[in-house]
Amino acid sequence: MRLYSASSEETLRARTLIKDWAGEGILTKEQHQRLEQETVSELRTTNIFLRLVLFLFTLISVCAAAALFLEIFLRPSSEQTDGIFLLIGAAVSYAAAELAVSRGRLYRYGIEEALAVCSVGFLCLGMQFALFSGHPLLPASDAAHSLVPAAGVVLSLWIWRRFGLWYAFLAAMIFAVFLSGYWTSSDAVQRALVAVFYLVGLICVAALRTRHRFDYLEDAYSPAEALLWLGIYLAINLKLSPSNLPAGWWDWVGSAGAASEYTRPFYWTTWALIWVLPPVVLVRGIRQKDRFVIAVGAISFILTFVSNKPYLGWPRHTWDPMLLGILLTGVALFIRRWLARGPGGVRGGFTAARLSGKDKQWMNAASAALGLVTPQSITPSPQTTSEDFHFGGGASGGGGAGGDF
Amino acid sequence: MYDELDRWVQQQYQLSQLSEGFMNILVRLDHWREQGAISPQQHVYLAALARREPFSLFLELNILFYAGVLAFVAGLGWTVTTYSQQLGDVLVLVILSAIFAACFWYCFSRAPAWSLAQTPAPNAAFDYVLYLGSLVWCIELAYLENRFRLLSGQWDLYLLATAGFFFFLAYRFDNRFVLSLALSSFAGWFGLTISHWPSHQDAAYRQYALLYCLLIGAVGALLQYRGVKPHFFGTYLNIAANVGFWALLSGVFQRDGYALWFLALLIACAVSIAWGLKRRQFAFVAYSAVYGYVGISSMLIRNIRDFTSILTYFVFTGVAMVVGLVVIARRFGRQA
Repeated sequence: MRLYSASSEETLRARTLIKDWAGEGILTKEQHQRLEQETVSELRTTNIFLRLVLFLFTLISVCAAAALFLEIFLRPSSEQTDGIFLLIGAAVSYAAAELAVSRGRLYRYGIEEALAVCSVGFLCLGMQFALFSGHPLLPASDAAHSLVPAAGVVLSLWIWRRFGLWYAFLAAMIFAVFLSGYWTSSDAVQRALVAVFYLVGLICVAALRTRHRFDYLEDAYSPAEALLWLGIYLAINLKLSPSNLPAGWWDWVGSAGAASEYTRPFYWTTWALIWVLPPVVLVRGIRQKDRFVIAVGAISFILTFVSNKPYLGWPRHTWDPMLLGILLTGVALFIRRWLARGPGGVRGGFTAARLSGKDKQWMNAASAALGLVTPQSITPSPQTTSEDFHFGGGASGGGGAGGDF
Repeated sequence: MYDELDRWVQQQYQLSQLSEGFMNILVRLDHWREQGAISPQQHVYLAALARREPFSLFLELNILFYAGVLAFVAGLGWTVTTYSQQLGDVLVLVILSAIFAACFWYCFSRAPAWSLAQTPAPNAAFDYVLYLGSLVWCIELAYLENRFRLLSGQWDLYLLATAGFFFFLAYRFDNRFVLSLALSSFAGWFGLTISHWPSHQDAAYRQYALLYCLLIGAVGALLQYRGVKPHFFGTYLNIAANVGFWALLSGVFQRDGYALWFLALLIACAVSIAWGLKRRQFAFVAYSAVYGYVGISSMLIRNIRDFTSILTYFVFTGVAMVVGLVVIARRFGRQA
């Protein structure tokens, strides 16, 4: 089913590990050169920046080509004709993506990824136009319309399996969210359905990945499992609603899902579940030593702390984020010290020490980027000429100095 | 029981993989040890790393520290803004000053001796304590000015002083978080200074954005040349490149008098590509590809009204960009 051979992908993985180990000084330069020669792959790879730019320009050219074809040959035309053309476009894009890999031996090169992404987009748009004439973004109550997101789920999952692109799995999960909206208008049932979809996916992924510890396929299953855990958590937490996202994070959490909108048993079951799920995910991540699953466990813990008060109907205080901050730093300090006190700085197979050069690269890039983000939100605005001026005005400033003094 | 079963499944799977000519990293390490490519000690160490034994929580703990500091400062700012009347100026300032003083006492008392080269932090929490102190400084300064108008609303002076203070801290404690704070405060000073001017603001912003990027680029280069924290150079250069490209693009987007800006954009793209390829820093190749494409496209299609011609332009130029980038990727950018 997979487009790349197991040995090719494993060779690339070995090559990456060797580079990392050489960067950390575990392998000498001579050893690195020798082992590099033993891990030569026929696949063509590139670095992340060129990959992103190639993805962007392939996307531009494919979308422009499709629009140009429609404009020149099919104007004026009905929506059905456009739809059929887009379906053909989806097939052509997908075939081109396959060809780029089988002939061009491209691996995470941007080009084949953009072609695969275009095939999903064209398929959904084409089905919408061809089968259900109307604006694709308008909601429809007809359950038959669910064919469009269903096709999106199927093709995205296929691309994930075939090309190994983690974001295709995310796309499939997003399409699955839309599916339930066509079948029922009840928010509670929609959430339950989405959670069940993800749970089924989770069982499948968990069963598959047991056979793939320490090989390249674990790298594919790990983010998929983490995304599914996160999806389940977001589906069952009634206080998190994506529809309110622009209102700001702190305002957003808690503004949705009032208790009266749901039956009491459903409401309190979800409250219990948002406390049960984070430790389960965290334990699973720790057992598997899976970075992504551990991260989702930690994120869901934080979201539970943030949404607990709204769930219980308790008032939120301005110092709640301070308490959360103290808790997070306290936990980080405790874990770090506890691990450091173990023999050789290791306890239970975990260490707080840095073992990979990648971690350092991530830290350097993130610290430079995140440092840029925060000051604007905490530095007061400059319009201070009026006597009545109160700086800020919003409660959503990253550093919090966004309200009025 | 579970672990034994898991181990058995792994062994069976590895055997089946071997029979298919498939080698995962553990099998490869065994093979390299037998060949003598790595020593037995290296084999033991690398096999443990590949099995994630031990598993490093370095990244996760750093993210927890960062999120904790950010949440704390958010709550502090929110509390101060909401309850400043009830708490009173003295109490607010005492609390903010106490946190600020405690942070900097901690940093100055534990910092290693200053060095021109990269200096590791004495412990994992150190960088975040410094970051906390810097953010609290911002809140305190904002509070002081709003309540007492010490500088009569001259925020640009605050920003300049803050930028200077943060530059000092960044170099003293070798901290990228604070260096980014310094660079953005400095950019804020440029922006605020121009906002006081009566007219021609767009043109002034553009010219001063260029001046800003040239200045920080030059300072970064000079400090790197002198060997003063040379690892900071990347941060300077990335910020300078992005600010510079934005400024040039805004000039190209003008209705009149864009020719010089366009020429400058082309030169900047050429320099950025040359630098990126020479230094194997492909972010700069990406910057020049994207910013250059946007600038050139805006020049070429600004007077075209025919939709078909515009689409034709995007098809051909998109394909040309892909071909050009593939050539670059194949010649220079194979290594991830």
